[in-house]
Amino acid sequence: MKKYEAVIILNPNLSTKVDTFLKDFEKLLGESSFNIIKVEDIGRRQLSYSINNHNKGHYLIFNIEGDSIKLIDIENKIKYNESIIRHLFIAVKEHSGEDSQLLIDSKNKSSESDDDKGKFAKEKVNTEKVKEPIKEELEEKSVHADEGDKKDE
Amino acid sequence: MSKYDVPKKFDYKNINLLKQFITETGKIIPARVTGISASNQRKVTRYIKIARFLALIPYTDMHK
Repeated sequence: MKKYEAVIILNPNLSTKVDTFLKDFEKLLGESSFNIIKVEDIGRRQLSYSINNHNKGHYLIFNIEGDSIKLIDIENKIKYNESIIRHLFIAVKEHSGEDSQLLIDSKNKSSESDDDKGKFAKEKVNTEKVKEPIKEELEEKSVHADEGDKKDE
Repeated sequence: MSKYDVPKKFDYKNINLLKQFITETGKIIPARVTGISASNQRKVTRYIKIARFLALIPYTDMHK
């Protein structure tokens, strides 16, 4: 028995059919005598680059336990499933048991998007700040120049 | 000395952590710059590559 983490990225257009996929996949794992320790449904996420012309993907993370030989069979079956746009099985020493950072992030998504807006706003402010001092310097120079002129007078 | 946060456990799912170790163009920052230990640098590299495969972080900024 080995411990694995499985990450599966589903076609975002089939997001509503996640429950049926989960049932099928759990059945497939069960047939190969795999134990499912934890399932994380992270939901739709923006992909960093497009995969098969998809810009979003529905992420699922499984913590599973089973034999390495049977994993190959599972992978062969998954390969021809068109609703899966990418999958990865990783052997791990221990399952962390805690929620992954991705799940936490997706839960905070609504507040996070606000934060992002805030960041952008801050960046804009920063650029403005960078620009402003230059103007001030110029103004100061012009003021000095004026003073110089006055002194000359 | 290092300005990078090195946690006890690295994880390919912790994107914010891994993003510290890539440049704006998506390259992995070399160990001589990050200043973290060799073993941690190897872990970071491995997990960045996994995260790239899962489209969590970009390979490059040239993706259309």
